[in-house]
Amino acid sequence: MLEGLLALLPQVIFDGLLLGFVYAMIALGYTMVYGVLELINFAHSEIFMIGAVVGVEVFRYLAPVIPNGVVVLVLALILGAIISGVMAMIVERLAYRPLRARGTTNRLVPLITAIGVSFVLQDLVRLVEGIWHNEFKLQMRLIPPLDGNFTFLTVFIQYKALILILVSLLMLVGLNYLVNRTKLGTAIRAVAQDMNTARLMGINPDVIISRTFLIGGALGGVAGVLFAVQYSTIDPYVGFLPGLKAFTAAVLGGIGNITGAMVGGLVLGQMETLAGTYLPTLTGGNFGTEYKDVIAFLILILLLLFRPQGLLGQVVKEKV
Amino acid sequence: MSRQTANVVVLGVAGLSLALLWLTPGALAGFLGLIGVALTAYLRPAMAVRAGSLALLALGFTLALSQVPRVSILFYGLVAVLVALITIPGIPRWIKGLLGVAVLLISVPIAGFNNTFFLELGIQIGIYAAMALGLNVVVGMAGLLDLGYAAFFAIGAYTWAIFGSPQAANFLSGSFPLPGNYFYLFMALAIITTAITGLLIGLPALRLRGDYLAIVTLGLGEVVRVLANNLDHPVNFTNGPQGITPVSRPDIGWFHSLMSSVGVELDARTDYQFFFYLLVLVIIGVVVLVNINLGNSRFGRAWIAIREDETAAKAMGIPMLGTKLLAFATGAAFSGAMGVIFAAQRTFVSPESFTLLASITILGMVVLGGMGSIPGVILGAAALTAINTDVLKSFSEYLNNLRQAGVLNLPNQVEPAKYERLVFGVILVLMMIFRPQGLIPERRHQLEIEEAKEAQQ
Amino acid sequence: MSATAVASALEVQSVSKSFGGLKAVNDVSLTVRPGEIFSVIGPNGAGKTTFFNLLTGIYEPDEGSVRFFGKDITGMSPDKVAAQGIGRTFQNIRLFAAMTVLENVLIGHHIHTHSSYLDAMLRTPRHLEAERRAKERAMELLDYMGLARRAGELATSLPYGEQRRLEIARALALEPKLLFLDEPAAGMNPQETDRLKEDVRRLRKELGLTIVLIEHDMSMVMSISDRIAVLEYGSKIAEGLPAEIRTNTRVIEAYLGKGAAGQAGGRA
Repeated sequence: MLEGLLALLPQVIFDGLLLGFVYAMIALGYTMVYGVLELINFAHSEIFMIGAVVGVEVFRYLAPVIPNGVVVLVLALILGAIISGVMAMIVERLAYRPLRARGTTNRLVPLITAIGVSFVLQDLVRLVEGIWHNEFKLQMRLIPPLDGNFTFLTVFIQYKALILILVSLLMLVGLNYLVNRTKLGTAIRAVAQDMNTARLMGINPDVIISRTFLIGGALGGVAGVLFAVQYSTIDPYVGFLPGLKAFTAAVLGGIGNITGAMVGGLVLGQMETLAGTYLPTLTGGNFGTEYKDVIAFLILILLLLFRPQGLLGQVVKEKV
Repeated sequence: MSRQTANVVVLGVAGLSLALLWLTPGALAGFLGLIGVALTAYLRPAMAVRAGSLALLALGFTLALSQVPRVSILFYGLVAVLVALITIPGIPRWIKGLLGVAVLLISVPIAGFNNTFFLELGIQIGIYAAMALGLNVVVGMAGLLDLGYAAFFAIGAYTWAIFGSPQAANFLSGSFPLPGNYFYLFMALAIITTAITGLLIGLPALRLRGDYLAIVTLGLGEVVRVLANNLDHPVNFTNGPQGITPVSRPDIGWFHSLMSSVGVELDARTDYQFFFYLLVLVIIGVVVLVNINLGNSRFGRAWIAIREDETAAKAMGIPMLGTKLLAFATGAAFSGAMGVIFAAQRTFVSPESFTLLASITILGMVVLGGMGSIPGVILGAAALTAINTDVLKSFSEYLNNLRQAGVLNLPNQVEPAKYERLVFGVILVLMMIFRPQGLIPERRHQLEIEEAKEAQQ
Repeated sequence: MSATAVASALEVQSVSKSFGGLKAVNDVSLTVRPGEIFSVIGPNGAGKTTFFNLLTGIYEPDEGSVRFFGKDITGMSPDKVAAQGIGRTFQNIRLFAAMTVLENVLIGHHIHTHSSYLDAMLRTPRHLEAERRAKERAMELLDYMGLARRAGELATSLPYGEQRRLEIARALALEPKLLFLDEPAAGMNPQETDRLKEDVRRLRKELGLTIVLIEHDMSMVMSISDRIAVLEYGSKIAEGLPAEIRTNTRVIEAYLGKGAAGQAGGRA
């Protein structure tokens, strides 16, 4: 039996890597917003979902016209990034900024607002798709060369999976550069550390926060498009679970820490895939793959209880 | 507007509404009646006029409902009268009590016997109001954001569902289902089990700060739901997504006799509904009383202190973990007890009733009504339950009719009944931005101050 | 242990606290005798509030110990520290906005209100008696601080000076043996400051409290303190009687810069 289990391992690791990159990209959006606002942006999972929907729609309309899958994908990624990024900015402007202006330190209020926005976006997209195409579940229409695949050392690899990994890596490298080497990145890090001092340095926090949402949203959108390409069927509620898990990943890596989000995403993706594949065999069929979601939650709960700063984060003491 | 004018206007509208409701009952008369309630609340007529107007309107709605039982707006008129009774200052307590009891025990049953939907609605509002009052202690008073509240509801419901149905026979020897009258025992048991579960979860979780606590409770809520969905193998505890049915109900032979002796004849259509309606009323009464007592104690003050400023609360010597645990466990216990009632009343339990949407809905009730405010939370529960069970569905039907009549060309995927998330989400966001204190803010002593001012006028 | 050690109200030994690379409090020791009015002063950023927070349990010292009437309270959480009999007020007034003046004081009396959870839920006679006693005590304290007529008003509707007095009344409800006052005179005009001085003296004389203050208002510090400690950049640079501190060159330099000692000497 052990041999059989080991034989599966390369595939499991690859699939885990794939899932990990998806989580990592979504996690980046959470961690960036948390870094500057100390707010869990529940709506981010819907920003991700909007990206997925954009992906499906772009393929629906352009695939018949442009026969090259890669070109359509690039267009979808760009459009997804823009639309998701802008949506994130709008959400910040309409729902979160008025609360900031009020100046309460009450943590409950922004959280509840974020949940509300999340719900609204879910059903808005549902409404739009209902009216536009009279559909609830959307099917991705993939075209060559994206639907090809090959096998490498017993591992079944689809071209689209490789593209996902490639794009994710590019995004992560790009973001790293942005945050660490550009003026905007420095401003973002300044606002994240100490908003008031940053303001004194001439940085307008509102502008920076807006841009942070734009970038985080764009990343979420890209993740969404790739998710749609990878998993084919999406609906307006598809963001919830990956969103929650990505948040877990962000916390796992250390919330507010960008490298942490990447690491956390990859680790979580790997653990989930391992659990999903091996749990049935290990428990003799008693606890099957449906429990893999529970794994993520349990990790989250244990993490917050015993090591809330995550793998790479630092313990931050509240100033009185 | 002078007091004289206000008196005349309010009485006039109330009288007119009564007449219309009696003679030409229908949606229009109902609407006029609602306007009457609103005017009574906002125009500030004399105390006697306020009481009189509400009494007239209540009578009107009742008369109308006895003639046209299917018109919902009339029922909401009764609800509006009840809300007005609770919130309008200056009406003497005995009048409030008398009128309130009359509406609850006479008007609603009259409406309900002619249209059991209203009894069902009343029961649902009652169950969710009791749970919202429980969550109010956790979120509204202590400020602990619990996003997995439905988990306790599920635990209570499944506890009775498993033992009060053949389900338990799957893993225990003995005769199941347990007889229906064990229902009462299980209510007490559910209170204990959910309180203990609340303590166990709270011990680690309540050490976390607000946003992390929210996520942990959300995760736990989901874990409970997944367990409910999947614990049908290897041992069948919960029967998975199909749910458990039929769930036993207590005997109500004695109830039939009791009602007969008062002159109320019950039949198979109305008996259990009316029983559960009254039961829920009693329980809400108890829950409200307990909440008021706790609110006026050092615990209530400590919770609000923790919510307002945890650092200052600590400096007062208030033990953080212990005090938070009390709130958390209390909230859990309320939810668990209502779960048992929920299971018995519906005779059916499935994981579908305990989703994140359910937890957020109850949170929405607290937020909409007013965090920390007992009447507010009840109002919130009534509003959201009504939207959920009645308004959205009616709107759906209305649109469907338009579709079939060819007037509206809307794709059939667009079904308003399915858009509760949109409604709740909008409510949450709007409330937080524009009125975070809720519709009826927690006014611990404002009410008394207002009444004192009123008395001086 | 010598007789003096047991007799001290507060004994702080070599406490230090770092945040990241910054040593906010560096090896500070001091002793406060029972019934003393002790002030901690220093220029801005000297670490005074951090020091206070170390003593009241909000931060845990990296090194050192804190003893309260002989009992080791190092690293105890704030609620436990308060329960030992240490009350405090805050630099930025932290009253409970949603509650009345009376309720704020009642909260201070929380651990002395003897009513169990069950009692509260069921509104037993025991509960009612405990509530009555607590309210009586709260009114006494409000009266003592001159706020009795404000009892039913919302705490935040009070004028600034009265809010500060309310904070003190609330801290007194803890039945403390020691009171920490964090910049109690901040934002006060001269009349209010005079009243505050009177109140602090009364608290010590009539209630036997030991009082430790952080303060910037030098005239207040000099006139009411028995002894003063001076912090600069997290370290204690002087300690002694007001007259000594006033003329201490190191202290003057800390406030006014090097070379100012010669010019400012003698003037407070």
